[in-house]
Amino acid sequence: MALVDEIREIGRKYPDRRGALLPSLYLAQKEYGWLSQEAYETVSEALNLPPATVKGVATFYAMYRKKPMGRHLIQLCTNVACMVMGAERLVDLLKERYGLEPGGTTEDGRFSLVIMECIGACDRAPAMLVDTDFHSDLNETNIFEILEKYK
Amino acid sequence: MLKVTINGIEIELEKPVTVLEAAKQAGIKIPTLCHFDGLPPFGGCRLCLVEVEKLPKLQTACTLMTTDGMVVRTETAQIKAARRAMLEFLLINHPLDCPYCDKAGECELQDLVAIYGPEAGRFAEGKRTHPESFDDPIIVRNMERCVLCTRCVRMCDELQGAFAITVTGRGSHSFVEPFTGGKYNCEYCGNCLTVCPVGAIMSRLHRHSYRPWYVEREVQTTCGFCGVGCTMILQMREEHIIRSIPRMGLGLNKGLLCVRGRFGYDFVESTERLSTPLINKNGQLQPVSWPEAYEYIANRLKEIKEKHGADAIGAIASGRCTNEDNYMLQRFMRFVIGTNNIDSLARLSYAPTVSYLESIFGQGITANLIPGIANSDGALVVGGDPTTINPILGLQIRAIRKNAGKVVVIGPPGGLKRFVTNALITDPYSEEMVLAAVLGRLSEEKELRGELPRLEEKIRAVKIPSQDELSDAIEVDEINAAVDTLKGMENPVVIIGPEIAMQKRSSKRLFLIAAIAYLINARLFVLSERPNLQGLMDMGCEPHMLPGGRPLEFEMFRHKMEESLGKKVPESKGMNLFEMLDAAQDGQLKALYVMGENLIQSLPNREKVESALKSLELLIVQDIYLTETSRLADVVLPASSWSEKDGTFTNLERRLQSVRAARTVSPGRADWQIIADISSQMGDSGKFSSVESVWEEIIHISPLHAGLSYEDIAKGNALWPYHGEPLRGVEGEFDVEGIDSLPEKRDKEAFYIQLQRPLYHSGSTSRHSRALLSIMGEPLVMINPSSAERLSLKDGDKVVVSSDIHRAEAKIKLSEDVRAGEVALCNTFSGLNFMQFVDYEVSPVLGCIVITKNNVNIEKVT
Ligand code: SF4
Ligand code: SF4
Ligand code: SF4
Ligand code: FES
Repeated sequence: MALVDEIREIGRKYPDRRGALLPSLYLAQKEYGWLSQEAYETVSEALNLPPATVKGVATFYAMYRKKPMGRHLIQLCTNVACMVMGAERLVDLLKERYGLEPGGTTEDGRFSLVIMECIGACDRAPAMLVDTDFHSDLNETNIFEILEKYK
Repeated sequence: MLKVTINGIEIELEKPVTVLEAAKQAGIKIPTLCHFDGLPPFGGCRLCLVEVEKLPKLQTACTLMTTDGMVVRTETAQIKAARRAMLEFLLINHPLDCPYCDKAGECELQDLVAIYGPEAGRFAEGKRTHPESFDDPIIVRNMERCVLCTRCVRMCDELQGAFAITVTGRGSHSFVEPFTGGKYNCEYCGNCLTVCPVGAIMSRLHRHSYRPWYVEREVQTTCGFCGVGCTMILQMREEHIIRSIPRMGLGLNKGLLCVRGRFGYDFVESTERLSTPLINKNGQLQPVSWPEAYEYIANRLKEIKEKHGADAIGAIASGRCTNEDNYMLQRFMRFVIGTNNIDSLARLSYAPTVSYLESIFGQGITANLIPGIANSDGALVVGGDPTTINPILGLQIRAIRKNAGKVVVIGPPGGLKRFVTNALITDPYSEEMVLAAVLGRLSEEKELRGELPRLEEKIRAVKIPSQDELSDAIEVDEINAAVDTLKGMENPVVIIGPEIAMQKRSSKRLFLIAAIAYLINARLFVLSERPNLQGLMDMGCEPHMLPGGRPLEFEMFRHKMEESLGKKVPESKGMNLFEMLDAAQDGQLKALYVMGENLIQSLPNREKVESALKSLELLIVQDIYLTETSRLADVVLPASSWSEKDGTFTNLERRLQSVRAARTVSPGRADWQIIADISSQMGDSGKFSSVESVWEEIIHISPLHAGLSYEDIAKGNALWPYHGEPLRGVEGEFDVEGIDSLPEKRDKEAFYIQLQRPLYHSGSTSRHSRALLSIMGEPLVMINPSSAERLSLKDGDKVVVSSDIHRAEAKIKLSEDVRAGEVALCNTFSGLNFMQFVDYEVSPVLGCIVITKNNVNIEKVT
């Protein structure tokens, strides 16, 4: 289904168009990879909401991507438990291996890295999400075995 | 009835209001920052905190509703400490660059801090920085100063309805931005700048050129751009207009202005203004003194009158001039020259439209109040986009929708896009079909009440297109849906734009609209592109009408006027605009006096108009600039602009409003004054020492304006029919072209050129406003994206547009506001404009203009 139709479909589940805005933004993000001006415009058109309003709502929330992202998003936790178990070293290694900085994207557009505040997996630290897949008990070697599966 | 006590004062309230409002009624001022009268409450700044007995915490007065027995205190030590704390928070990030902020002196933040402190802040961290944005030609935003009160956003969304700006980001990274993040690309009404309490959104026109306390005087006047007639304050320093601002609660615009009224005033200070009379000597316009010009005019006119008779002389009055100016011109023609040859560009559409509606319903039928539109539960909009033609009226229609009413638009909805319930969009030539189909379906639903038998007789006779015939124009379901909306309206308005008149079979379309309005019992409004088109009619600037809306043909009215004035009224009907042009071409008309109009630019077929004007023996033009028309004149007289003279305008509601001189010196003279001078040069006995003396004569001879003083007008409620007598019993007689036929089909593949009426301009006057030019500086040919695709064109491509009579290169702009098969071009600019491409005929029934030869060809320039 085209994005506009998908959004309209979602819209039907809400009492008003504004209500459908957050899920619609997720759909647009999935389609475009990030919330570009074009993505806002599509949502605006699909919900018949002013583009400025759409952008205002989207930029309020931290978890929408407001910059272009790599094909795969690594969300690595560096909170207390993960930090103690060596997450910070993993951050350095990502930089060494891929030139990937927190908040940045690899030059080939393959990975983006975001530092996460706790994914609730302290017992299996360090942990990360790649896109929506969960990976735990990371160490200096297995992290790359895992990541190499994401092309 | 409820009672509340605020600071020990007992207040009785009819109905619950906010604590802020109740306090205001008792004369108690509670400080506010995010509150703004007329905007929905926000409760964000917390400066209006008050103590309420029995409530443990401080409350925001701007959102808390009063209840019976409530006891409130507004200035205790606790409250003051809280306000100080709130201000300290606001100042954490505020740059405190007051020394060079234009707002200093009228900044609400500055004033509040002066009252409540703090004298120093405790936050040592650095302030956020954000570069000032100069992306826009006329608005500058400095988001470091923003206090996030959201007044601008609420203004733009709730009252303006443009939804152009929003708060982006959050916390201390929140900024107010337009969608692009750079340029606003909005309606540029500037209403956000009225409400910004600090120097975050400011006008660039006078940036760093003044301090608010430099304003030496303020002059309240009426906007000179369109027929809404917004009240505005011109803030003056010496002879310079510093800014034009609305004032809350003042005028029918109630604190709002559109882009033209707010930013377009600089045309009066253009260096191109004429400052001395000119006479054509040996093919060149040369400066002469005023007495020389007067003498020349008087002698030439006398000569022509003696040789060819008074009817060889004609005049064109102006919808940009005041009632007094226009009255004087028709007076000059009728009583000094002795002819009824007087008309104006109101002939193009406004005057015939209003007269036709009056012939159906009676005089004054369009005298309805603009602020009442928002209270209607529905609107039908036809013949043009009210949000660009009469922007402040357009806002009222948007408000209908916000108040849960319904809006039906026939044609492209333009600025009403987000506000329509039903938009019936068809090609430009099928509108008559759509109207007829709507009428047909509606008359199945609504009864004919028997009030206007002749109208009803014609409603019964009208040919309604069958489903089959309609299928070419529009889906039947769309008609049905629109009719369902229309029939449910209890208190509707019908808004009629200028396009209705300007095509073939205009009387048929106008009749259909009138019939629909009759069935749904609607109030009528006719859009007016100039500030005083209605005034032209009421002052008698029509070849068949005397001042006060009295038809010349009745001996009784002529006689009355002769009695009151002691002068003979010429009997035979004069020539209208089109007849005068034809007569000039044929050599029948020898002299034409044009006041404040640029005929060559404003009429179709430039060559024809030019040739007609060149055939004249004498062309007198009174204007503020040298225009395409005045360049051809034998005499050019420099006039005063709207901001340099006193007088009155009659707006499209027929409200009379004061126009006041803000600049005390003018490079020219007031139009009425010039005509009075020439009249006395020609031996007229009238003595006009001031504009009041002109008005005195008007109320003396016009039964409609009898007894109406300047004081009454200044109060702002000089509403139709004033204290005068409108003419009764004129209704009943009207013709309809092709009542039993359907319009001929037009070629669907062809392109038609239409007149674009941009929000940012007003005829050719606004091309002298640098501010408006900075928003829209060149003519663009607007084309629908689907048509562009058909021709493999993209935005900004160069094309050649050619019609039967003109061919020119132009840049295109894609726009959803024009229909497929249509291209639109404005008529503001001199090199490239709509009227060059088309020709005209005169409508046999309405006598208005019918645009012809508007078939165009578009080719890409490669
Ligand atoms: S100028 Fe008018 S339309 Fe533009 S942002 Fe301000 S309020 Fe909105
Ligand atoms: S720009 Fe002005 S009006 Fe808008 S939120 Fe900021 S301070 Fe308030
Ligand atoms: S709506 Fe008309 S009268 Fe009002 S400010 Fe705009 S141009 Fe002037
Ligand atoms: S004025 Fe009441 S919270 Fe701002």
